[in-house]
Amino acid sequence: MDLDQAKQTYIIEARELLDAMEEALLTVEETSDRSEAINAMFRAIHTIKGSAGLFGLDGIVRFAHTVESVLDRVRSQTLELTADLIGLVLGCHDHLALLIAGIQSEADPAPEVVAAGEQFLAQLAPYLGGGLAKAAPAGHASKASVPASGEAPGRDCWHLSLRFGRDVLRNGMDPLSFVRYLATLGEIVHLTSLFGQFPERDAFDPEACQLGQEIELDSPAERATLEDVFEFVRDDSQIRIIPPHAKVDDYIRLIQELPEEDRFLGEILVAGGCLTRRELEEALKLQRSEAGEEGAVPVRRLGAIVIQEHAVPPPVVAAALEKQKTFQDRQAQELRVVKVSAEKLDRLVDLVGELVIAGASAHAKAILAQGGQPHAAALLEATLTVNELVEEIRDNALSLRMVQIGETFNRFRRIVRDVSLELGKAIELEIHGADTELDKTIVEKLADPLMHIVRNAIDHGIEPVEVRRARSKPESGTLSLSARHESGSIIIEVSDDGGGLNKDRILAKAIERGLVKAGASLSDQEIINLIFEPGFSTADAVSNLSGRGVGMDVVRRNIDELRGTIEVETEQGLGTTLRMRLPLTLAIIDGFRVEAAGASYVVPLDVVIECLDLGPFLESEQNHLINLRGEVLPFLRLREVFQIPGEVPARERVVVIQHGELRAGIVVDRLLGEFQTVIKPMGRLFRRAKGIGGSTILGTGEVALILDVAQMVQLATERQVPDRKRTPILA
Amino acid sequence: MAELIKFSKRQTQSLATAQVEKREQYLAFTLGGETFAMDIRSIREVIQFGGITEVPLMPPFIRGVINLRGSVVPVIDLFVRFGRPACAVAHRTCTVILELAQGDSTAELGVMVDNVSEVLSIAASEVEPAPAFGSDIRAEFIAGVAKVGERFVILLDVNHVLSVDEMAALVG
Amino acid sequence: MLRIVPSTHEEEAACSLEGEFTIYEVAAAKAQLCAALDQASRLQLNLAGLEELDTAGVQLLVWLKQEAHRKGKKLSLFAHSPAVVGVFDLLQVTGRFGDPILIAPPVAPFVA
Repeated sequence: MDLDQAKQTYIIEARELLDAMEEALLTVEETSDRSEAINAMFRAIHTIKGSAGLFGLDGIVRFAHTVESVLDRVRSQTLELTADLIGLVLGCHDHLALLIAGIQSEADPAPEVVAAGEQFLAQLAPYLGGGLAKAAPAGHASKASVPASGEAPGRDCWHLSLRFGRDVLRNGMDPLSFVRYLATLGEIVHLTSLFGQFPERDAFDPEACQLGQEIELDSPAERATLEDVFEFVRDDSQIRIIPPHAKVDDYIRLIQELPEEDRFLGEILVAGGCLTRRELEEALKLQRSEAGEEGAVPVRRLGAIVIQEHAVPPPVVAAALEKQKTFQDRQAQELRVVKVSAEKLDRLVDLVGELVIAGASAHAKAILAQGGQPHAAALLEATLTVNELVEEIRDNALSLRMVQIGETFNRFRRIVRDVSLELGKAIELEIHGADTELDKTIVEKLADPLMHIVRNAIDHGIEPVEVRRARSKPESGTLSLSARHESGSIIIEVSDDGGGLNKDRILAKAIERGLVKAGASLSDQEIINLIFEPGFSTADAVSNLSGRGVGMDVVRRNIDELRGTIEVETEQGLGTTLRMRLPLTLAIIDGFRVEAAGASYVVPLDVVIECLDLGPFLESEQNHLINLRGEVLPFLRLREVFQIPGEVPARERVVVIQHGELRAGIVVDRLLGEFQTVIKPMGRLFRRAKGIGGSTILGTGEVALILDVAQMVQLATERQVPDRKRTPILA
Repeated sequence: MAELIKFSKRQTQSLATAQVEKREQYLAFTLGGETFAMDIRSIREVIQFGGITEVPLMPPFIRGVINLRGSVVPVIDLFVRFGRPACAVAHRTCTVILELAQGDSTAELGVMVDNVSEVLSIAASEVEPAPAFGSDIRAEFIAGVAKVGERFVILLDVNHVLSVDEMAALVG
Repeated sequence: MLRIVPSTHEEEAACSLEGEFTIYEVAAAKAQLCAALDQASRLQLNLAGLEELDTAGVQLLVWLKQEAHRKGKKLSLFAHSPAVVGVFDLLQVTGRFGDPILIAPPVAPFVA
């Protein structure tokens, strides 16, 4: 077992556990079912402690143990979970995060960190009641009944017999850590350390471990828990565990299996309380007499002799054996999840992309191969089958990249709580659509813009309590994060019920900054959109948390890079909503090919509503409107938009597309059908390209351009306002 | 598309340092009757011109994009980029593929030329600064002029001619 | 880092062990302590300055006790620092050495 790799995994898992613990702490006050959240936070800290024990991370074990004890009291309802206690445990959570981050460097924690830890432990002390509780796994069985008379007093303990391998110390483990950890699982009633016979000076290797231990542990823990403690040394060492209330011959067998002398071991077991002296003497006496008769010591007969000779064997409590049951039940309930490296996933999606193109290419050639060629029909059918499978693989591969946005949203709970406390505002966070899935790359790149927007809402959007009161608003402001799918895109909204944006102030500032000429007439929406211009800020006071109002131009640039759009809706006094529209995935899409003036273009299939022939216009050509079964649909001609000269064909086709709530028709010469396509980046040179949202490589090897649907729809709609001057189509 | 010449990075570097007096290698090509040259170190390959997809509403020096082994690479018409009026008939037959380091990224670009002729080995001492007049090409595009035999060859400053930032700003 | 500071007075040698005494230090320590043991018939180890002790360190001390016995010498440990006392308690090896340990005032145990 690679210890370093395992440690890395531990760090990652510990962070996830800490996140779960934090979420439980933050939501426990809001939910009606508090016990679920309390169990969750207990489980998290319990697992962190247990795993730390495996790696000998004594500092973490020690700290986590105290926190766990406090939460155990909460869980058993002997301690109330007050708001103060939640705050304290949150602080402990942060400290644990520090300690876990420190594992990487393998250095001891800095003195300030140690001091901070001690302070937390001191603050936790009053909540401990009588003392540190012994940790217990959830749902543990109660201890077995009082042992029957005649039984050795230590027989209700676990007996651990440890003989550590020579390389244990060299591999970075230390038996001391195990002892410390076992002590948190219960009470160490008796412990004997054995070093065996050391070799001569020259032969003695001080780095080789020669330590063995016999331990009596009084603990309600399960066998699997105890076995797990020695996970990383079991390969090199001999670990034997005898459960409580085992039979005498179990101990005798142990004595025989161990390398040390029988009597010597027997004395240890007697000292530990597993055997009474009488039992030991009798067993050894019988063994000697047997040996005398036959001249050899039979290995396992001692156990058999003991059973036969004792008329009434010591009572073995069935419940004790029940505790040795495997932990299958527990494991079955956990979610079966596999961790995959992000690079491998990206590589897989790349390969799938290439596979899509190759499949299309094969299919194209199969079509060309038809007519007269033998097996042509079969080949065509075969390529169709292949492409269907490729489509399924593509969908599966892409779904691997999908993560729920809830993870990102949840991170804001803590920030909203902390920042609103610091600013003296009362803010409630609502989250909708947390299970909406989107591509992991998008989620990663959204984190920063979302943070900016949320901070703006908290800092400048939602008013302080007094102001809200004066405006007859509820004292607590509401910040809502929501996500949903809509016609091929994902919509993410950040809404607040704060003061809204002040149009007059924005306009004044824009004029002051030279972004707009004084006296220019702008629509309300145009004024609002000025906030996206670089160098713009209307924060009255500099909040020490986010500096000046954070640049919305940066936010928009980030959204642009994700091929998304962002818009603002605001009403003074009522609040503001920022709406981001993003494509579902950046990699592979289903496309619909069209041709205009001899060139082909691709429209993302998920925005296509329908296709039809272009009928008579509703109004004059100036306004470009179609009557579609009673609905008035604006349209634009691709060849006009792209200023491609040439004769307009007699019969044209319309592709009706939808973007958000708007619909428009794109008029083209021909419709060329559906196909899968891999989006290929075009490079920085085309960043400001008009009407084009990307490129793709067709099965024939040609490059086809993907239309920028948002621009198209917006353009078509804008041209309907009759009083606007005729401007070039794409300025 | 056939590959006419392919230069590997290692090759170009060893070529550059092979000569005794520090001579740089340049690829000479003709464009509209004139001879130009570019430093070989930026050149990845030369391919036959063809299979170009036009991108609408682009400045005229951006002719379109091609598929280069799965990557979409833009192709620039150098003649137009130099500000010369575009001919009705274009005699471009070759596309030179360049890999340029600009800012903190590398850009892959193709340039259309009439013909690729030869690899010239020019020492720094043989290069004269661009003439103040006589050329209607922007001064910063020219790294210098070299006399090779009887001809004058204009050495291009590729990073200026093909500055992605500058060209992108000219879009729209 | 481990510093071994020797001082000799006739047949009695004394060493102070200061710093950390863990797997990283034991290889070098073995040589130095053996050398100190060879120089006299009695060796006293002052452990007041030991800040950290792990199983390897304990093991070396146990071996050293055995080695002393083998060579007919006498080894004793004294002035056990709190770190040493803690580790000796956990491993229950105090009796093995037979050296008197000063019982320090009680400190808050973390468990048992």
